Amino acid sequence: MSMISYMVRRLLTLLPVLFGTLTLIFILSEFMPGDPTFAFLPQNFTLEQYLAIRRWLGLDDPLMVRYFRYMGDLFTGNWGRSLIVSQGAPVWDLVWERFPRTMELSLFSIIIASFIGVKAGVISARHRNKAKDTVIRGISLVGVAMPIFWMGTLLQYFLTYQIDLFPAIHFKTPWYGDPAQITGFRLIDSLLTGKIYLFTDALIHLILPVACLSFITLASITRQTRSSMLEVLQLDYIRTARAKGCIETDVIRTHALKNALIPTTTIIGLSFGSLLSGAILTETTFSLHGMGDLLVNAITRFDFYVLNASVFLISLTFVIINLFMDMIYGFLDPRIRY
Amino acid sequence: MMEKVIEEEYEVKEEKKKNTLVSILHWIATHIKFLFIPGYLSEDLESRRAEYERRVSKRKFIRRLKSFLTLLGIFIIFFIVTLAVFAPWISVYTFQDLTGYPLTGSQWGPASPAHPLGQTLNGRDILGRMIWGARSSLTIALPALLFAVSFGVIFGVIAGYYRGWVDTVIMRIMDIFLAFPGLVLILVFISIWGIQIEYYMLAYGILGVAGYSRLIRGNVLQARELPYIQAAKVAGARDWRIMFKHILPNGIQPIIIAFTFDIGGVILSLAGLSFIGFGNRDLIEWGNDIAVASDRMYDAPWAMFWPGIMILITVLGFMLVGDGLRDALDPRMKNL
Repeated sequence: MSMISYMVRRLLTLLPVLFGTLTLIFILSEFMPGDPTFAFLPQNFTLEQYLAIRRWLGLDDPLMVRYFRYMGDLFTGNWGRSLIVSQGAPVWDLVWERFPRTMELSLFSIIIASFIGVKAGVISARHRNKAKDTVIRGISLVGVAMPIFWMGTLLQYFLTYQIDLFPAIHFKTPWYGDPAQITGFRLIDSLLTGKIYLFTDALIHLILPVACLSFITLASITRQTRSSMLEVLQLDYIRTARAKGCIETDVIRTHALKNALIPTTTIIGLSFGSLLSGAILTETTFSLHGMGDLLVNAITRFDFYVLNASVFLISLTFVIINLFMDMIYGFLDPRIRY
Repeated sequence: MMEKVIEEEYEVKEEKKKNTLVSILHWIATHIKFLFIPGYLSEDLESRRAEYERRVSKRKFIRRLKSFLTLLGIFIIFFIVTLAVFAPWISVYTFQDLTGYPLTGSQWGPASPAHPLGQTLNGRDILGRMIWGARSSLTIALPALLFAVSFGVIFGVIAGYYRGWVDTVIMRIMDIFLAFPGLVLILVFISIWGIQIEYYMLAYGILGVAGYSRLIRGNVLQARELPYIQAAKVAGARDWRIMFKHILPNGIQPIIIAFTFDIGGVILSLAGLSFIGFGNRDLIEWGNDIAVASDRMYDAPWAMFWPGIMILITVLGFMLVGDGLRDALDPRMKNL
């Protein structure tokens, strides 16, 4: 019961953030140059046509009317048609074609990075200042400082050019077809329709980008877990547990880990947010056509409808991720629930 | 009784060394490292050193900074700053050579005496571009973060000190900026104003304000309950004085650590931006080098390799110093 009320309270604090982000985007797009009417006009247009299209699009309405129509359109799914990125295509289809790809990439990376990162952080904290700790600290330091696009190009060079192990670019082999679009996620769809060759193909194409992204996320998760674990292991109740005769595994797993994971959950949430909102560098290096790519194209080519829809989807996902992380907080530390 | 036990132990130990050759080699192997240290074998010195270690205070900040990795980080930062400041004197090639079209007419050459690390697009020297590239990263990152720190600290201290609706409003706005995808803001600035360095600094500054204000607000919330603040109020100190003379200097510690980490982060971000193509083409940037070289990755892998190493080393230096500062400023004595 308290968990539900806690979640409702967190939702109420996160909704203003969502609205604030959308308002900020609205304000910023007021200042952006670029006129959406030109996409709807033929080659030689007259002034009357221009004004008519403007009135039809609703660009001359007062600020508040436009603002509320913008918000209403976003929340009801009426996202309009793309102007420049893919002329005339409904934005809904465009975004939902690309969003599952970025989502697959991010989910895979964050799950792998969390598991390996927490495990490595715990090992590093347990065997402090010994060989394992030094090696793990060194690797995580390099991982935090490494530019992701450079690592991507290095992996492409060594693993694709020198040894032909993994494919370098794209998320599927070009001449393979698409499975039936049940959920939109290529991995799930290919499993659901029974075409295993598509599944293995998509998986192999995902390996290098996921390796890059998860290495870098893993490094920061390991560092954070290590430092919070070291703090927790010096507290008095751990000493009591050891004095009572707990074996070391139990001390760590049952007593220390839950408290140590609280700051780590923050890091995981923030990393997922940044993975989702961009991964643009990874997508450019590996030529995966995902959300980051769409976002960059939309902003630089002044495609307002695609921009609004993409930012809305990204903010919504960020809110959902934060809620999920808060639920995990509430599970890890029951004091927070009240 | 105890002496008998100890004698038995020693006898047991002496029986184990049967083979004299093995024992001689064993002695050499364990002691050879001491041959290189003059005066090490003296036991007197060893005990004096142990005595010194026991008596010197472990609380001194400078002592705690003297770990190998932190010194390495400081050295790396010093090195990069030297490269940035003294680039015209260190590099053989001038700025025009490195951004123009050199007269020799060869491209993507391997390492040669004139080009120690090889050549990249249009025959430019890689080593020269590495040296000059330090300027652009540092020049953009530092002012942006100084802007972020100053405004973040001001907003955070005000929010934390006054509480109430001021706190709620400021923190909500900061939450919005934290949740905002940073790349979107920068790209929007680029689309409005074009690719200008000042607006990059502004964008990173605005994005950084949120994090710093949250950090210092936590410290301010704790500090304002302390008795010395109440004593200052009773003595008649005004709010601004208490905020910026008493609370702020004591809460600055996480800000300094976050500052060093963020410089590394901003340098990585900037390299990423110039990799996608939104950097200033007139400047020498490492990310741009990697983007240009990744097209010719199969012919000239060295062109892609070296700029990345430079980014890695620069960010590594800042991260090491940040780690060292965090360990040195840690109030817990056991973290040595």
